[in-house]
Order: sequence, then structure tokens, then C-alpha cells
Amino acid sequence: MSYDTVVVGAGLAGLTAALRLSERGQHVLIVARGVGATHLAPATVDVLGYLGDTQVASPAASLPGLSNGHPYGHVPVDQLTTALAWFCAHTAALGYAGGPGENLLLPTALGVPKPSALAPRSMAGGDLRAGGRFVFVGFKGFKDFHPTLIAANLARARLPLSIEARALELEPPPTRRGDLSGRVMAGRFDNEQLTDWLVHALEHRVEPDERIGVPAVLGLRSDAPWQELEKRLQRKVFEVATLPPSVPGIRLFQALSAALRSGGVRMVFGVTAVGARINAGRIEAVEVANATGTHAYPVTSVVLASGGFASGGLELDSFGTTRETVFDLPLSGLPEGHRVRFAPRYFDEQPLATAGVATDDLLRPVDGSSRPVYENLHAAGAILAGATPWKEKSGTGISVATGYAAAEGILVPAAAPVSEAVR
Amino acid sequence: MATQSPSLSSLEADVLVIGGGSTGVGVARDAALRGFSTILVERSDLADGTTGRFHGLLHSGGRYAVKDPSAARECIAENRILRLTAADCVEDTGGLFVSTPWDDPEYGDQFLQGCKATGVPAEEIPVAEALRREPRVNPDIRRAFLVPDAALDPWKLVWGCARSAEEHGARILPYCRVLYLEMDGDRVVGADVRNERSGEEFRIHATVVINAAGAWAGQIADLARCTVNVRAGMGLMIAMNHRLVHMCVNRCKRPADGDILLPLRTACVIGTTDVFVPDPDQTEIRQEDIDLLLDEGEKLVPGFRQARALHAWAGVRPLFEDTAKVAETRDVTRSHALLDHSSREGVAGFLTITGGKTTTFRLMAEAAVDAACRQLGGPRPCRTADVPLSGSENHALYQISHRLAEREPVPQAEEIICECELITRSRLEDTIKQRDTTSLDDIRRLLRLAMGPCQGGFCIYRAAGILHQGGHVDQAGANQTLLDFLEERWKGVHPILHGDQLRQARLDDWIFQGILDVEHVPV
Repeated sequence: MSYDTVVVGAGLAGLTAALRLSERGQHVLIVARGVGATHLAPATVDVLGYLGDTQVASPAASLPGLSNGHPYGHVPVDQLTTALAWFCAHTAALGYAGGPGENLLLPTALGVPKPSALAPRSMAGGDLRAGGRFVFVGFKGFKDFHPTLIAANLARARLPLSIEARALELEPPPTRRGDLSGRVMAGRFDNEQLTDWLVHALEHRVEPDERIGVPAVLGLRSDAPWQELEKRLQRKVFEVATLPPSVPGIRLFQALSAALRSGGVRMVFGVTAVGARINAGRIEAVEVANATGTHAYPVTSVVLASGGFASGGLELDSFGTTRETVFDLPLSGLPEGHRVRFAPRYFDEQPLATAGVATDDLLRPVDGSSRPVYENLHAAGAILAGATPWKEKSGTGISVATGYAAAEGILVPAAAPVSEAVR
Repeated sequence: MATQSPSLSSLEADVLVIGGGSTGVGVARDAALRGFSTILVERSDLADGTTGRFHGLLHSGGRYAVKDPSAARECIAENRILRLTAADCVEDTGGLFVSTPWDDPEYGDQFLQGCKATGVPAEEIPVAEALRREPRVNPDIRRAFLVPDAALDPWKLVWGCARSAEEHGARILPYCRVLYLEMDGDRVVGADVRNERSGEEFRIHATVVINAAGAWAGQIADLARCTVNVRAGMGLMIAMNHRLVHMCVNRCKRPADGDILLPLRTACVIGTTDVFVPDPDQTEIRQEDIDLLLDEGEKLVPGFRQARALHAWAGVRPLFEDTAKVAETRDVTRSHALLDHSSREGVAGFLTITGGKTTTFRLMAEAAVDAACRQLGGPRPCRTADVPLSGSENHALYQISHRLAEREPVPQAEEIICECELITRSRLEDTIKQRDTTSLDDIRRLLRLAMGPCQGGFCIYRAAGILHQGGHVDQAGANQTLLDFLEERWKGVHPILHGDQLRQARLDDWIFQGILDVEHVPV
């Protein structure tokens, strides 16, 4: 079977590219080893939170301050704005709020105000910029959320308007399981009417003007438990992202994959893209390995969204050699000399932090002379060189923006010639 | 228990022990068991120096059988004693010496002779049998020998000895640094000490001061204007995820670099190197040493470089040399040295015990306290070879599966704070209370928290939250110990970061920076 586009990777970048292409009539296949970083990261869309040490108030206004070679350099601000609006429209069930013009400041599970451009409605109520009174509610027996530390840290955080924060710990109805992950807690909200319990536990213990922060476990299937809580408590309730697995991230994955399925996109998990058949500077087919062997899928275009080191899209071996694991693409941002030595202090700038694939403006990986490696190969997400997303707080933003832009790059046929020298 | 701050401006004891490694706590326990009032001071946490940074091999003596027969005899004797008295700290993995294609198979004959002469039980087994027991070991080995090596948990041993010493009346004072030794003429009569946590200074009067500061013994001796030449021989170790071997696997050749691979709890450790360093506190890990260990590992277990390396660290051996300079630190004897400074320099009331190795710590302690008895009114018999540590009374050796076995009947009974090392919330909370510590790094050494594959990616946020929630630290303290831990952990992670562990490190970056935004916590 042949596809218009094969997308390698099912993280936010791959899902975004696939959905945009399918909505424009393409026949799309996603191949992936498994689900991507949606299940790890909070479901916020962080476009740009820090520029160096400076907190960013408006991502759109700050993008020009990024260094050359940053992935956003290939995504004009108006395209970024379009991409975010498109993203909100296609995840309507989660009700994303915000935009590229100004960052929300959402509390982390450590009580730090973190800038995000978009947040699902179940989290957006935690925006700290307006000040006010907050109560953070922990559940006894749930180890991934520590409200006393959150409240104490937030009370000392630098914020535009002062806030008050306090902590409350509640004991949920007993369960046979004493060790609960966020995923299991969320399942209890889906299946055990934990919402009832929480309403009763909170209604007389929270002041009318307090906003209520809870760990992001209010339902795995949907945010219905969150909606019900807000309605019945008559107060703002918001989820705070905590350690993986990320419940809001799983909801986001479900929302996007439902849209992909209804758009006819085929998703194959448990397989590994291992290479390509090349003809005249183009990828003719993507080779995909599963337990029984390797299968080649003929394609017109390819999106590489295999992620960075965390996802296995990039690898460093014990001899110090870095490689891109699917197509063995040339890499940019590698340290000088052969041997990688990491900096001795954890928070110092680390080598390989910005390593990845450099691209042209159509998001096509380029070689050392800035020519596309393959005319019909585009890249998106954490595989791209030039960003330190966990420091900049830009990971999910880059994924949405470049996933969208890679799709647009495929939809607008390329004119740039391909180097004869490659491969 | 151990960490109550001395609020008195002066304390008194028969014996003051300086140094909280295996030797120091061994001396303190020995002296306390003989009925002496005893105080131990350690500038940092217990077992934070050499003891907590060695590979964890309880030597059978096989390693020294050819080169250093007296060390071999001491090792096998102490090995037998510790299996009884510190059984809960010893995992009976057994040891295997193998001749790889890079080793002279004839050395095996010398090895067997040496073992026979020193009383180390050694038995040659067919290569096929060795490979059946150790399927990952290089299939091209030519000879294989079994010896009673074992794996030793250094933290458990040190804390076991410290608790036992306290049960017999000793005071164990970690984080108390010796500033000066108090002299009365030619006699050492005590020490001025600073509590490194509170900043408080106080004096300890003692009839005998025993310098058990290991590689730092020279620095302590200087305070009494005595000379102790201890060379610091730095050894590098790398912990690998999983147990690639079941037994302590040694190369059958003269001891050299990277020739030991042993299972230690859920990981395995390859060691070691031997590089002279001028300052025992300056142990920089060099890339060439990492590569050397990985290459040597590849000879023992093919595919070693593709296996996941978790953590690298360096420890410093205290190598005593009394006279001329020795070019190679491996040529310095591994036997210990007991120095009575009254006969050496005419300084009474002051002994130094150094050199040696963790396997023989008890013997070193016995020798030191025997010597102290001579200054304390006559001999009293040593009891440490007979009295087991608490937890080891029934002589049951440690089983790797014990934490799992404890949880198996009720797998979901309680929150598991560290999934890698199966540490429950109540165990963590009890330890915080007992130790009265607020340092995640101290807790790591006590419980092995954050020592598994994720290197604290998940458990450290939880542990910081629990410390704060329990009122043990304020928010600034919780944030600081979290940041300190991330820096401390990175020291061991960054030198070996590649492959799957880099992947893990990036996930941890995402957790701490991308999700929690730890770099912007108020401190």
C-alpha cells in the first residue's frame, strides 16, 4: 500500500503534522515505536518561557530574540499564530485557552510559576498573573504531588500581583491499591465517583474567593470530572501537572488520535522506522521493521518526528559518536572535536543540548552546505537542532509549530534543488 | 540516633576516634565493646570517604594470593568472620577468576599455589561449567577458578557498626570536623571540633586519640606535628544497570586496572584504576580511565559497551608508605599500618591506623584498640570477631530479593517512593526521623534512594516533598537539598553519559526543568 506521507513518530509533532496533512486530503501513515512524549509532558503548549535567564511575557514578541538556527527561525510568527489557532480548534474537547501574544503563568508541582502560551481549560484556571488566593489540595497516598511545598514556594515566588497560597491534604476513600500513579488516580475519578467525595470534602473547607489547585488526575477519559467540580463547587478549580505519566497529556493524545482516526489516518505502533529507499535524491519508500521483518512503504513525502535523545531519535554511543537513528542524517550542534564531555555542573550549558537536524525553511533536513538531504523529507519536533526546550520551556510549542509547518512545507511543493552529492 | 548535636562545650572520653569510614566505626565499636567510653567524629557523613566509594568486594584473598600473601591471609580470615558477624551486609555471590584470551593461562597455576599457601579455598572448574554459571562472561576464557569472594554493602556495614557502638555507649558524631588536636606537652589530650551543620565549636578530652582518617590520616597527624605518609591512590568505578554477572568475576592475572566486575544489589560494578592523586579531596574522573574500564569490561563481558552505564565515581585508597617513594601505587602493600606516635615521634596518647582495605577493617580496629589498651591501663579482650551486628544475629546472609520478598504478599500495600530500589514511604519517613537528617544525599547513602536506573528522576521530588511536609525542612531547605542533590548526582552521571543513560538523563531534564521548573525555585 502506498501513502502520500509517512510520519515517523507519534509525539505531538508527528500527530500535528499527520492531522494537518490528512485534513488537506492526504493519505497518511504514522509509524512509531510507541506513544510519544505527550504521555510525559504536561499538556500545556509552551512556546517560549525563557530567553536566557529572562522570563518571557510575550512569546510572539520574543521569538526574534532567539539565536540563528533555532527551529522557530523556520516558522514565521503569523504561521505560528495560525498553527496555535488550528491546534486549539482541533482539540476543542480540551478547551485550550491562551495564544502566542502572552504567556500564562501556571504553577508547577514544585510551586514555581511557569510560562505557557496555551493550556487546556482544566489547567488554565491556575494562571497566577492576576494574583488572589489559592488552596492546593493533595490526596493522601498520592506521592506525586506535595501541596505544602507548592504553597510555600508560591508564597515566595516573584509574581506581578501578590498571592496567598495554602495547602490542604485530603484522604480519599480507601482502595486496595496503596501505591497510586497519576494514571490510576485519574481512573478512579472516571470510575468511582471520586468527584462526589471531593466536592463534599472541599465545599466547607474552601473560601469563596479561593482557587483550588489539584494534581492533574481529574479523569483519564475526559476532563468531565474537572467540569463537574467547577460547577458544583462554584469556584475555579485547576489541575497542576506533575510527574509522568501525564494525565492531561494522555487526554491530548486521545483527542488528537481520535481526530486522526476519523480523518482516516493509519497509526501503526510497535514498529521501528529503520531507513529508506532512495532514488534521485528522494525517498521512494520508508523501511519499517517489526517483529517479523522489514517492510517498505512507498511514499511521496516523509515527516521525521522521531524526537531527540529522550525519545531515541538521536543516540550517543560509548565512543562519543552521535547519530540520527532512522536515516543517519547529518547533524548540527555537535561539540567541537570528536569527544563529547559534559559540563561538570548540572545547570551549566551542556554539549549536545542543541544537537539535532538543521533544516531549510520547508523544514527539510539539510547537509553541511545547507542543501536538503532528500527533496521530500521534512523534520519536526525535538529532532530539530538549535533549541534547549526544557530550559527555554519551548518543547511543546516547537512540536506544534514545526509539525504544522512541516505539513505546510509538504503541501506547498518545494522548488529547491537537491544536492547531487548526497548519498 | 547518631546525629544529635553535642550542645556541651566539652565532652570527655577514654578514646576519641577521628574518621567515620569502616576503620573508624570499627575502632569505635571495638573500643565500646571493650568497655571504653568512646566518641567518634567525622567531618562529613559516615562512609562518605573511601568506604562508601569502593567497589564493594569482600575479598576472599584470591586477588592477593600471589603478590601479597599476608594480605591474602588476612582477607580470608576476615571474610569468614564478617560472613558471621555482619551477615546482613554480605551477599554470598561467590567469586570467579577467569583467564581471558588476554591473560596468561599459566598464571592460573601460580594462582592456585598462592591460594593453597595462604589458605584461600580455590577450585578450578571446567570452562563450560563457568559459562553455565556466568552466561555473559567471554566464551573464549581458558580457565576458571571458584573462590569465596562476596559482595559487601559498605553503608550497611558502617551504620551497623555505628549503631552497635552506640548501643555500647559510644557517641558517633558525623559532620563534626577536627580543627586542632589539643596537646599537653608531648601528649595529645583531645581535639577541638566544629559541628559543620550548626557551626558550633567544642572540645573533646580523651586519654587516647586514634587517627582513623584513612587517606586523610596525614592531615590529622600534621595537627599533632607527627608525620604519616599516606599516598592517595584514586580508583575509578562504574556502576552498570542490572547484574551482568552473578558472581564477583576477576581476571586471573596480576592485579591491574579494570579487572573486577561484581554484582552489587541490583547493579554491577566494574573497577578499578589506581592513580596517585596529591589531594584525596581532588578526584577528577578522566575520560581515558572511563574508556579503559569500558574496554576491560568488554574483555570480561562482550557487549559491555552497549550495556547501560549508570554512574561513575572515584574513591581514594589510603596507601601507607613508611620510607622511600614507590613509583606505582599498585606496588604499595595493601596491608594496614598501625603507628604509635609515642615510639615514633615521642607524642603520647596518639595512634594512627591507616592503609588496609574495607575487608580487613575489623582486624585493623582490633590492632588499634589493642594498642590503645596499653595506654589505658592494660589489655582487655577484643570481642568484635564474636559479637554479631544487630540484624546479623542469626548469621543469615543478605538476599538480593529481600525487599521484593517483603512486599510480595501485599504488593500494593503502600506508596513506593523509589521504584528502582523499592523504598516505601514509611521506610523513608522512619529513616528521616531516626537520622534526623535533611540531606537527600545522606538519605541516598542510607537507603540507596535514587541509586537505580533513573538516578532520582522520580523519587527525589517526592522525597523533597515528604521532607517539607513532615516539617523537617522549610521550603528553602527543601529546594536547596533538591538542587544540591541534582548537582551531586550529576557528578557521577556526566562522566559516563551515553546510550540509554543519556536518554534517561534527558527524561530527567524534562521532569526537573520542563515540568517542575526546578531552576526557578526560590532559595
